Amino acid sequence: MTKTTALVFGYNKYAHEIVANVVDRYKCVKIYSLHEEDVEKSGGRVEVFDLSDEWLEVHKEVDIENSMAFCLLEENAQNIFLTISLRANFKNLKIIALASNNENANKLKMAGANKVIAIVETTSDIITNMLEKPISSKILHSILYEESELKIAQIKIDKESHFKNEQLTSVDWTRYNGIIVLSVMHKDMKSEFIYSSKAKNHIIQEGDILIIVGYEADIAEFEKRIGSKRYVNWSHWSW
Amino acid sequence: MLKHQILEFAYYLDASKSYQKSKHFFYSILEDDKNRYKKYIDIFMITLIFISVSVLIREVKFHVNDYLMFFSNYIISFIFFVEYMLRLWVNSSVSKIIVTHAEHDTFLHREVNLAKAFKQILKVKLNYMISPKAIIDLLAILPFFHQLRLLRIFILFRVFKLFRYAKSFQTLSSVLAAKKFEFLTLGIFASVVIFVSSVLIYVMEANNPASSVNTLFQAFYWSIVTISTVGYGDITPVTAEGRFVAILVIVAGMAVLAFTTSLFVSAFTEKLDEIREMKTIEDVSKLKRFYLICGYEKISREVAKKLSIKDSSIIIMDDDQGRIEMAKKDGYTALHYNPGRVESYEKLNIDIDRQIKAVLCLREDDIENVYAALTIRSINKDVFILSLLMSDTNRKKLDFAGIDKIVYPQELVGLITKEIVGKPVAFEVIHELRSENLDVKIDELSITQHIVDNFPTVGDLGNKDFQIVLLGINKYNNDRFFFNPIDTTLLEAGDYLLVVGYEILILEFEKYLRTRVRDD
Repeated sequence: MTKTTALVFGYNKYAHEIVANVVDRYKCVKIYSLHEEDVEKSGGRVEVFDLSDEWLEVHKEVDIENSMAFCLLEENAQNIFLTISLRANFKNLKIIALASNNENANKLKMAGANKVIAIVETTSDIITNMLEKPISSKILHSILYEESELKIAQIKIDKESHFKNEQLTSVDWTRYNGIIVLSVMHKDMKSEFIYSSKAKNHIIQEGDILIIVGYEADIAEFEKRIGSKRYVNWSHWSW
Repeated sequence: MLKHQILEFAYYLDASKSYQKSKHFFYSILEDDKNRYKKYIDIFMITLIFISVSVLIREVKFHVNDYLMFFSNYIISFIFFVEYMLRLWVNSSVSKIIVTHAEHDTFLHREVNLAKAFKQILKVKLNYMISPKAIIDLLAILPFFHQLRLLRIFILFRVFKLFRYAKSFQTLSSVLAAKKFEFLTLGIFASVVIFVSSVLIYVMEANNPASSVNTLFQAFYWSIVTISTVGYGDITPVTAEGRFVAILVIVAGMAVLAFTTSLFVSAFTEKLDEIREMKTIEDVSKLKRFYLICGYEKISREVAKKLSIKDSSIIIMDDDQGRIEMAKKDGYTALHYNPGRVESYEKLNIDIDRQIKAVLCLREDDIENVYAALTIRSINKDVFILSLLMSDTNRKKLDFAGIDKIVYPQELVGLITKEIVGKPVAFEVIHELRSENLDVKIDELSITQHIVDNFPTVGDLGNKDFQIVLLGINKYNNDRFFFNPIDTTLLEAGDYLLVVGYEILILEFEKYLRTRVRDD
């Protein structure tokens, strides 16, 4: 299910970048800061919150079930406290948190964040890939982040899907209509690489998600042919 | 006429490329530590030295094979003679001195005075010949005249030649040379004590029939044995006066020993950092391809860790002692130099073109990164430079500094978040493929001419037999990526295959491509 509201906690450079990248995906983006001066700086766009809040205001204003929270406070301890506070109050809220490093990322996961981005590790991963595997790094970067013709998509197998009940490896996915299937996510939320021994004997079922790479037109054609649609699924996120 | 011919010849040699090249070659293999063949010459010479000494020892009590004697006396001496002459030749340039003098005189409209030039040549060559190393070289040749038995002992001078070839000896002598004044003071003090005590013990004991000190030499011998705290006991004072002198000498001996020990210790302690640094510089100059990381902070620490896991050589350079200590503690080769100064690269003697794979400016400070990048760009136009960007307002400045790749963490976080929000499963799959934690990997395989000869098209590769997905080909000639290429796509040397599969199967597939020969 697509979320309708983004709750961004923190008013800093990372928050700016994230808001700029996700603003199109939400009907409403609410930004909260711990500092009063940010309200003035942002021209009233930012609201003030307190870490001791019981979140009653937020609960009244926002449909929490359909919201995504971004915990982006610069102080690690405050960010962890914020995450744990949100989780304690809203069991079903999806939380993405920013951590300076892996150590804090683990703490944020323990505090209940669904997804954590560790800045130092992520940046160093990307730098290392750029140096050691420049071609794959360039291609994957363009597939994932840039407006290239080549796209990655996740397709959910529907009730009427063309491939339902077929064995996964009975179809030559590498040549199927110009698209390449990289992996399949089973109903039990385990992702398997297409050639893995488990995936080989897997019978495609309703609810499976195929991760495919291809040109936009080919993906659209693929969707049409198999009778399934691109899908955003949050339920695999565990916490 | 003769003068004219000498001048002509000097000009000819000075301008001759082949002469200068051969002179430079000999200079390089004899004197330049960076020359890769020098160590073989050194090992060869060290071997000759040990053969000579072994023959000398053997000869004392046993008969030595005539051929071996001939080899030791004549061949080795001849090789040492040739080496001596070559060193004398390459030490300075005779032709250059003559040409410089001639040019100088011509410029001043004077007749060329060759005598002055020869005087300078003589001075320069003599200066070399009387240097300790050259004297040892010369003495090492003397056993050639082995009929003179005394000259055989000069074989031992060959051992001193080891100083030339073993670096640790040179380090030792440089450490001791740094304390020249202190050692001189110690020498004078010890000499005075030995002289006074020798005379005193002689005066007190020589007339006593029970004493074994009868000559001044015996007194001198006793003083040395006592002051060094060896104390053989073959000569001992018997009179009360003599014993009193002995007490003084023993006390003075302890002072001399303590002084000597502390001198050695302090000399080495003071030079220890310098010695370590010299060793590091030497190690760095031997590295073939490495990443130079400028700055050691959070991100660079993580990058260094990841690169070293992949067996890449890395060198850390930072001007902050604390950060350098941290890098050393983490087990990296770390150099306490400022990456923003040309002098640093000159001192370290890094050949950027040959040795550096890429420069990573990873200070979490845009000003420092621009400074380091500009410095490196001023030395080398082509080396790949990657830099962190901490504030987007500085992006243009980094571009202008000639940085090839800019990494802006905030932008990355924004893009990643967008992808996580939009395609969480796909993001996870790609993220897992890129990470080192899973068996399934994305990898790049380079296409060689051998592969092209045996697998001319994509259809011939047989990647599916290895359970490998061919994501696409990066073509060498136009640097374009062709996704999911059809079977008839021709392969060319220099292309890269982008494959996804189990790491072990990718390795097998690569081995298969590189070793398999087409049957037809």
